[in-house]
Amino acid sequence: MDLVFTNIVNGLMLGALYAIVSVGLTLVFGIVKVINFAHGEFLMVSMFLVYLVTTFFGVHPYFSLILVLPAAFVMGMLVQRLLIEPLQNSDEHIMIFATVGLSIALINLMLLIFGPDILNTPSSGLRQPVNIGSGMFLTGQLNILICAIAVVGGIHLFLTRTQLGRSIRATGQNRSAAQLMGINVSWIYMVTFGIGAACVGLAAVLIAPLYPTSPEVGQYFVLLSFVVVVMGGLGSITGALVASMIIGLVDAFAGFYLGANVKDLVVFGIFLLVLIFRPQGLFGGARNLSHVS
Amino acid sequence: MPSQKQTTRAPALLRALGVDNSADMRGTLYVLLLLAALLLTPIVVGDDFVYHVFITICLFAGLATAWNIVGGFAGQLSLGHAMYYGIGAYTGMILVNAGITPWIGMFVGAAVSAVVGVLIAYPCFRLKGPFYALASIAFLEVFHVLAIELKWLTGGATGKMVPLQVGWEWMIFRERLPSLIIVFGMLCFTLVVAQVIRHRRLGFYLIATRERESAARAAGIPTVRVRIYAAAISAALVSILGTFHAMYLTFIEPDAAFNLVFSIQIVLFALVGGIGTVFGPLLGAILLVPITEISRGLLGASALGLHGFVYGVILMLVVVFMPDGIVRVLPQRLRAAMDPEEFDDTRGEALDDEAMGEMHPESVKTGERPPVGREVLRVDHLVKNFGGLAVTQDVSLTLREGEVLGIIGPNGAGKTTLFNMLSGFLAADGGSVAVMDANGNVHQPQTPADFVGLGVGRTFQIVQPFASMTVEENIMVGAFHRHPGVDAARAAAREIAEELGMARYLHEEARNLPIGGLKRLEVARVMAMRPRILLLDEVMAGINPSDLLEAIRLIKAIRDTGVSIIAIEHVMRAVMDLSDRVVVINSGAVIAEGDPETVVRDEAVIEAYLGKEHGNA
Amino acid sequence: MLKLNDVMAGYGSTTILHGVSLEVNAGEIVTIVGGNGAGKTTTLRVISSLIRARSGQVQFEGRDITGMKAHKVVEAGITMVPEARQLFPEMTVLENLQMGSFTRHARAHYKEKLDEVVGLFPRVAERFSQQAQSLSGGEQQMVAIARGMMACPRLMLFDEPSLGLAPIVVKQVFDVVRAIAAGGTTVLIVEQNVYQTLKIADRGYVIENGEIVMGGEAEQLIGDDHVRKAYLGI
Repeated sequence: MDLVFTNIVNGLMLGALYAIVSVGLTLVFGIVKVINFAHGEFLMVSMFLVYLVTTFFGVHPYFSLILVLPAAFVMGMLVQRLLIEPLQNSDEHIMIFATVGLSIALINLMLLIFGPDILNTPSSGLRQPVNIGSGMFLTGQLNILICAIAVVGGIHLFLTRTQLGRSIRATGQNRSAAQLMGINVSWIYMVTFGIGAACVGLAAVLIAPLYPTSPEVGQYFVLLSFVVVVMGGLGSITGALVASMIIGLVDAFAGFYLGANVKDLVVFGIFLLVLIFRPQGLFGGARNLSHVS
Repeated sequence: MPSQKQTTRAPALLRALGVDNSADMRGTLYVLLLLAALLLTPIVVGDDFVYHVFITICLFAGLATAWNIVGGFAGQLSLGHAMYYGIGAYTGMILVNAGITPWIGMFVGAAVSAVVGVLIAYPCFRLKGPFYALASIAFLEVFHVLAIELKWLTGGATGKMVPLQVGWEWMIFRERLPSLIIVFGMLCFTLVVAQVIRHRRLGFYLIATRERESAARAAGIPTVRVRIYAAAISAALVSILGTFHAMYLTFIEPDAAFNLVFSIQIVLFALVGGIGTVFGPLLGAILLVPITEISRGLLGASALGLHGFVYGVILMLVVVFMPDGIVRVLPQRLRAAMDPEEFDDTRGEALDDEAMGEMHPESVKTGERPPVGREVLRVDHLVKNFGGLAVTQDVSLTLREGEVLGIIGPNGAGKTTLFNMLSGFLAADGGSVAVMDANGNVHQPQTPADFVGLGVGRTFQIVQPFASMTVEENIMVGAFHRHPGVDAARAAAREIAEELGMARYLHEEARNLPIGGLKRLEVARVMAMRPRILLLDEVMAGINPSDLLEAIRLIKAIRDTGVSIIAIEHVMRAVMDLSDRVVVINSGAVIAEGDPETVVRDEAVIEAYLGKEHGNA
Repeated sequence: MLKLNDVMAGYGSTTILHGVSLEVNAGEIVTIVGGNGAGKTTTLRVISSLIRARSGQVQFEGRDITGMKAHKVVEAGITMVPEARQLFPEMTVLENLQMGSFTRHARAHYKEKLDEVVGLFPRVAERFSQQAQSLSGGEQQMVAIARGMMACPRLMLFDEPSLGLAPIVVKQVFDVVRAIAAGGTTVLIVEQNVYQTLKIADRGYVIENGEIVMGGEAEQLIGDDHVRKAYLGI
């Protein structure tokens, strides 16, 4: 029983991690209708930024938020403006290549600059373990869980209660009708991409003190993000949160009982089953099936 | 205008490869020169590094060409093709260690890859664009994990080496020349396979399926099966190259064999060269491989990540500035050589309706009208609900041989839904559709293929051209239904084009046709299948009122060849003129039926469809 | 008020409009009549800048609005009620209306416009908190029109407002269009329901193959032989 509890705690912590990384991805997909294959690299670049700011100024990693958040926001806006928007009317595959290209370029750029070595952001007490019965987690992990829930809730409120949020939803639901309302959709797309990237910036600030930073770190997270986002129903932010928790739990239990590699097999197996049999996600209805014929 | 193409006939062998005119022959010459240079340059230079670069070019050109069969022709963007490379590499390696020559091992690997390709293609064929890409990445990861986990078979994460044995038997050599010859041979084989597929029925079917799946199914294409064929062939070819490369490297490990970036590189070469063209991937590899190999050779480890960075940047620049690849920006003559079929005689400019005006049949043959015969189609009590809404409620109707049945009704009345059930695109919730074959036997077809098999052809209200194909190729897709051979299909397509007055525009890409031309192309494509029963969904819409008469005559001419027609139509003029009987549908139910004159005077019809004023006017 | 001068436009390599010129005066109801694919919708899409004119000008109240960004055109006072409603399906009816009054000018008049709309469409008010996609086709059309009105336009473009609606609802739609015009908003309407449209219109144009082939008083067009044959099916 204790083992089960330990794994549940672990699973929820992992789930929170996946959730905070995935929120931006699902938001961008839901509105701009682009699957950003470079999403993981947004995280990776932000983590490097956290490392630099933290070590350079010698501040607590969470302080780097002041710089990383706007930087990530601008990075997202620029990518939308310079790469995605020019391709708005091209074939689907062109968009995939564009973001895949961005992903490869960013990984290797960081490899060029920082080399293949792993960098460790100072943990500043965030690796302090907290014990609840047989369960154990780090204070930093708890912060991730709190922030993940806060971000999902915050974005939900933002999208439903503010005029900007409503215009973002309107644009996502019907682009040309939104234009006819007087909404500047290319601006909305840029803002959305920026918010998506800023979410990743926040994730980076929370993750960097706990996990090593390397050019490949984004790859590791992004594959799981795709799993979570597809499972939760593309574009559904609360769906992504729930799916994150499920995958986190699967991850924890499979990792514990089956080993690290087989765990990946289980996760990708679930992903493929969802993709093939429930492409609209576990919770979605029959709508939003634009990606299958 | 008889095209010049027929004047110079290429030899039979070349024609089997899709080389059937002088332009194609010139193209073949360019390609052969390019290939010769690929083989001879390193031999002449004799430097080991140059050998290595050219071997790598051949390898990637082959991989990209094979990928292109799925990624280009079938339009399914696999980012997981490294898995077939890995399967080939591992199968070869495992068998070599068991004392079996890679010359056998590569075919075993190809067979395994083909089976895996089929097993993946079958469940994934519905997934589109990014979702297919995601699924392919996930499968690649699965194989990656398997390669690490199945230690007894693969040697786990540390990888596997070839035993020390040299010679042709083991595909392992001290010098580089034999490796070059082998991989060059594999490249040529892959190119030939790609070329043959592209110019045979399979290629047409793949591209048609990519462009418009529903129209492809309406043309009787087994869309699932052709994609599975493509997946199997592509996987097998990639796998063979994988076996070779494992022997060339003498060592493999899971991280290198099942590598996402390696997958992406394959795609990159195809993209840069031109996705969907036969020789584009070759060109892409020739252009890009030297850059990266040389930079890697010169800068070595000091610039870790440089070539990856360059790849990424090139990928972004290419998609933004020349998404169709190098092939499309080559000078015309070269372009025709690299991509003969796509190039054709396309003028690359839009036709306006005025030009299309000339397409009208100068003399549509109007023969004697045969008498209306026996029943060929019977619909009984058909019911269809969409989420509680009854779109079709208890519709019954019959069609007789050589008869034209008009269906009218307001938008949203359920006419197109009815058509979808009469052609197998939708399954009815209740009732039945019976089709009589040529011998009078009654069948209950279910799928679009069943309907097509019984001679039911349909058009779509929203035109569904295969946009990147020429008019001739579009019609050929229909003609393949009766003529599996390319030449016969082409001849049949030309005949139909002639009949419908489209002969002048055979080599125009469908995307350049105006709406009227596209409507006509719909009819041409379905007529090429020589249907016995023809379902026309608003083919008159978009035709100028002044040209309506011609269009009506055309349909009458089709009717007079004994074809039975059901036509959904809004243009009352055409309905009145063409129909022997008219069925009026409103809110999913038949509200009137009879000869045209009676129906338009029917109170209910006027109320529901024509409007009160119409009746009074 | 609105003036199109020799406008050419199309999609991709296809040209749909081959030089369309027309005029709409303040307070009028003007209709464009033509077959499917003749260029009616394309004309409206050029005016609202959803697609760009290849050549020619669009002038509105003396200003050149050719090539203006679509959202700027709305601010300039032109709103289009698009074909097939195009509501925001997963938003409530009220949210749809709020999106309608997106521009600064419209937001300032939000309350009074909302009252006006509720007065005109009592049924819509009953459905405020429902998701737009749960409404029937007729109700959705009413919401689409109401949403268009919320932008306080001086010129409203209607693209096939009666498409796919039951005859009884079609009549209501035309009544509403007439009411909107009576309230001082200028109307340019494209309809397949030619007869009924000409009945409420002041003037009309006939478009064929992307060219205006005829124009005149609505009465006169109803009586015209060519129009009667081609579009009224008489």
